[in-house]
Amino acid sequence: MSVKEANILLGGPQGAGLETTAQILTSSLAYLGYGVLADREYYSNIKGRHSYIHARISAEMIPLSLSYPVEIVGAMDSETIFTHFEDLGDGGYLIYDSSTDNRTLSSIASMEPILKNRITERLKRLGVEAKVSSLVDYLASNGRAEIVALDFPSILDTFKKRFEPEPIQASRYVSSILVGAVCGLLDIDEEAVKYGVSRRFMKKEKLIEHNVFLVNYVADYIRENYGSPYKLDNSRLSLNEMLTVMGNDVVAMAKIVGGLRYQSYYPITPASDESFFIEAFERLEVDGDSIGGIVVFQTEDEIAAITSAIGASLTGARVATATSGPGFSLMVEGLGWAGHSEVPLVITYYQRGGPSTGLPTRGGQSDLLFTLFASHGEFPRIVLASGDHIEAFYDAIEAMNYAERYQLPVIHLLDKFLANSFITMGIPDFSKIYIDRGMIVEDGEDYRRYEFNGPISPRANLGSKAVMWYTGDEHDEYGHITEDPEYRIKMYNKRMEKLDLIDKEIDPEKRAVLYGDFSADYLLVGWGFVKGVAIDSINKLRSQGLNGAYLHLKMFSPFPSSYVKSIIGSFDSDRVILVEHNYLAQAGKIVAMNTGTIIDRMIVKYTGRPIYVNELIIGIRKILEGEMRVVLSYGA
Amino acid sequence: MVLKPSHYKSNVWIDWCPGCGDFGITAAMYRAFSELNLDPAKTVVVSGIGCSGKTPHFLNVNGVHTLHGRAIPFAVGIKLANPELTVVVNGGDGDLLGIGSGHFVAVGRRNIDILIILHNNGVYGLTKGQASPTLSKGVLTKSLSKPNIQDAVNPIALALASGYTFVARGYSMLAEHLKNLIIAGIEHRGTAFIDVLQPCVTYNDIHTVEFYRKRVYNLEDEGWSPDVKGEEQETNKKLLAAWEKSLEWGDRIPIGIFYRNTGISTFEDRLSEEIPIYKISPPSKQIISDEKGRTLIDREIFRKIFRDYIIIRKQER
Repeated sequence: MSVKEANILLGGPQGAGLETTAQILTSSLAYLGYGVLADREYYSNIKGRHSYIHARISAEMIPLSLSYPVEIVGAMDSETIFTHFEDLGDGGYLIYDSSTDNRTLSSIASMEPILKNRITERLKRLGVEAKVSSLVDYLASNGRAEIVALDFPSILDTFKKRFEPEPIQASRYVSSILVGAVCGLLDIDEEAVKYGVSRRFMKKEKLIEHNVFLVNYVADYIRENYGSPYKLDNSRLSLNEMLTVMGNDVVAMAKIVGGLRYQSYYPITPASDESFFIEAFERLEVDGDSIGGIVVFQTEDEIAAITSAIGASLTGARVATATSGPGFSLMVEGLGWAGHSEVPLVITYYQRGGPSTGLPTRGGQSDLLFTLFASHGEFPRIVLASGDHIEAFYDAIEAMNYAERYQLPVIHLLDKFLANSFITMGIPDFSKIYIDRGMIVEDGEDYRRYEFNGPISPRANLGSKAVMWYTGDEHDEYGHITEDPEYRIKMYNKRMEKLDLIDKEIDPEKRAVLYGDFSADYLLVGWGFVKGVAIDSINKLRSQGLNGAYLHLKMFSPFPSSYVKSIIGSFDSDRVILVEHNYLAQAGKIVAMNTGTIIDRMIVKYTGRPIYVNELIIGIRKILEGEMRVVLSYGA
Repeated sequence: MVLKPSHYKSNVWIDWCPGCGDFGITAAMYRAFSELNLDPAKTVVVSGIGCSGKTPHFLNVNGVHTLHGRAIPFAVGIKLANPELTVVVNGGDGDLLGIGSGHFVAVGRRNIDILIILHNNGVYGLTKGQASPTLSKGVLTKSLSKPNIQDAVNPIALALASGYTFVARGYSMLAEHLKNLIIAGIEHRGTAFIDVLQPCVTYNDIHTVEFYRKRVYNLEDEGWSPDVKGEEQETNKKLLAAWEKSLEWGDRIPIGIFYRNTGISTFEDRLSEEIPIYKISPPSKQIISDEKGRTLIDREIFRKIFRDYIIIRKQER
């Protein structure tokens, strides 16, 4: 018996090694050729609060989305058991530390009281005492779950006797117990385990030896006592090498490949990991030779991040800054200056749950309207959103090309779901990548930065032979201030007409992508990280006889109006459904504004957790049965 | 060929109020730039908002007229991406010490090689005379309805506390002295700051030409030695002396160089240590693709650079 895919959830306190667990498992699985998508859910906290990793592993494809219930819940602590016992599917496996049998729900200090009350109520209704052993017995007795009870302390004792690790390190090995149990249940072989562990601990021989031993020790025990109920089919993926990356990493890699030479940032979740990544490669060394150098500059605030990036751009460097909602709020005035002064600039924007500090470590898509309308006055901008890791790679490079070709700010819209989820993916296709720096001139005589030469004036850089002026005031061709009314019209038009140029030059089918066909029974309309779950849900419903299509919106400014209008217009209006991670269904407003078509059916989620396949298919059915608005809420 | 001061004057009509202190500052810049024989194409004047914000338009060198309070970070980006440029910031007291004070402090920590000129007239001129961060408490200038109830910030002391390695004060009506300060500030390797006292003839009827004429004296004339030579102890001594001197305000107001330390690495030096290629090939000078638009990083280089993120699948036996 073997399976095509497995869904797992591993939970534990923040800072206890859950990330290590995920990295080892992902590497081991990728080594065997499996596709993995793993979402990391965590509090805004460094140590102690509940965090978990929710993953899908597939032998057939790179997973696009996540779903519940899962087949395995691995619990590092009792909080995980109480929080996630209903995420486990019938007959699934609960791995837990049997030395915590006597822990009661009320004794878990790290759990939020609101959640504690909710679980208390739930357990009361189920007639289960709020204690680990009782809950485990309940799950076991109803045949709901198989229980993998491991006495963590005694496993660690065996391990300690053999290896005598420093006492301070012993607790760090707990994560390997979970890795071992999962490897046993999935039947991941020793070689793959060794590979995964070695990659995680890179040349730290002792740590590798210890962890390999522990993982295999537990895995063997599981195989002997439980078999390997989720032994994975041999992978049918054709990739011989895979990147194992988070969204932050992918975008950083793309920027490096795409010639980024200056990135400024101010620390903010979930964007700063990207800048950190780039900084680690600042010397761009290949076989000991430097092929370039990237300045990654940590500024005093986001205002300085955007304005210093603008300054660097004026000298001809390829620049970007990366931030999230609160940081972008501070950048807004600088954005307007860049738009007005026609400065190439990329802002990589990782949305998180807002408003204000909101849910700083959770996801959301509530900033679409903000990015489109931020800053006073009117100026052209490009707003480009990516739906998955692979799109994010190519889009990050395109964003820099567009910025320079059209001399304007480009906002590359991403979200925390993508930023913090691990994926295995193929190495990008370099034949699809190019660099376009737009119209650049060197000569100096009577240079006019804003020469009336169509919407795009040839760009000379500060430091070239030309002398030029920039100002946030309305300006003449030279960049000096003017308030002349007729001149104002000419310069204003020159700027704004860039939008028409871009609309002409960039294929609408690149800006909105239809998955499925016009004969479908219903059309989902979404953007960003919704892509994966929308496509998977459609596929799932197709197997149940319901044929759907998904319209993936990628560029919101300039918006591919007639193309989108023609697609939406070919479906009955009660069969078109917005799917978004916000309250207002913001993309729907943009569709209405640009096409005159109002989509009034929507499935939305704003809990900060991703949309899951299981809930989306229910949502779609409800809408098709006549509901207008479905609010999703699954996930701890 | 040496360029005359007049060469640095642009052909834009200067629309400051007649008698404005900004004229003196701009004239001192023309002369300093001329004496240094700066290449206009390799010189950038960056300003914020307000009357002083217009300064770049009146100079025949590259000019970047930015946002209120943000001239410094714009200038920092320009300098870091192309360190061969001479970068000068002109900002008002509201601009640099009010809305932009965070940047004013942060740049000192980095010692980036730029010069910052503070147009210090105690009021927000272009918005008609509100109290600026350098106007003392209790002072009633003619556009205020009641005496100022906020204390003044001390620009010299703030610059010293923030780590500036060249801290000076000039007076806009003493153009020769100011010109020399600007030259010294540009020649200084590191962040240089000149607090320039100036009248606002329209809105500040307290700090007038007459007011300053009676009070201003030159530190140099009294044998002041601003330079740190050698040891760290010496740095502290000079800093403390400069700090104490910065408190002098009233009947006598010192101008000149308060403090200068050439022994601190610039941010550009620090970057070069991290990125060896930086000095020869800063971000603005790097070629990032071939003529056909292909990236420098191809598939093979990508695999080498990011090898730690690539997993090679187990070969089936």
